[in-house]
Amino acid sequence: MTAITVGTEIPPVSDTATLARLVQYAGASGDLNPLHFDTEFAAAVSPTGGLIAHGMLSMGLVSRAVTAFAGGPEHVCELTVRFVRPWPVDTVATFGGKVTEIADGIAALALWGDLEDGSRMLRGSATIRL
Amino acid sequence: MALNADRVGTVYPAFVYEVSREKIREYATAVGESDPRYFADDDEMVAPPTFAACFSIGNALRTVLDDPQLGAHPRLVHGSQSFTYGDRPMRPGDVLRCEPSIVSITPRGDNEFLVIALEATFVSDETLAARAESTIVFLGSANGSDAG
Repeated sequence: MTAITVGTEIPPVSDTATLARLVQYAGASGDLNPLHFDTEFAAAVSPTGGLIAHGMLSMGLVSRAVTAFAGGPEHVCELTVRFVRPWPVDTVATFGGKVTEIADGIAALALWGDLEDGSRMLRGSATIRL
Repeated sequence: MALNADRVGTVYPAFVYEVSREKIREYATAVGESDPRYFADDDEMVAPPTFAACFSIGNALRTVLDDPQLGAHPRLVHGSQSFTYGDRPMRPGDVLRCEPSIVSITPRGDNEFLVIALEATFVSDETLAARAESTIVFLGSANGSDAG
């Protein structure tokens, strides 16, 4: 890991919420809410009127960026995210973050996830052991 | 109908979750991970931090939603999530004792916010594996709203 200071940005991660991805995530995580793969159910319930990605898929992606930056899962102390906007199926989202504070060998990070139109869909924070 | 606020404070019976090599691979693949340690055949293998989703959302949330006294309904979305980790990552073969509980139920507008906590400890030494807090938003079921 290169020297990190307050303001260092973590390399971003992007992905597309294809239906195949959502089905794969549902099976892998056991999160079987039909909102993520059942079109009729989503039409009735979804905030967008259509299929949306699992919040936890977006958390998994931002965590991927954080964990790679931190040097592995043994460096990750805490992850918190808020899902502020749904991630519609078949759209791209990009996740990143930056260091906001360093003290006693622990770095605090602010995290974000943006939809392809630039709107923020995820906000969060993390602490990592340096 | 609104959720049953009397269930706040309920601690559900703990369940056991065993971390397996194939589940780590499956989860890591699903979130597009490429770190070889998530796919290793040997003792190098560790689980990604958000692997905790598999037992906190996959199992614990289901336990809570299936509580017949809670009155959960399927019009829900995930509002927020946090994980706090112990001193070491999860590895294949780890056996976790997982205890879900209901922290709060709060109406906000037409919706209700259910906060669930899950404490997962390594059975081998009783240290923390992960503590999860999940906020689930039930759409339209707060008292006084039209839907639900």
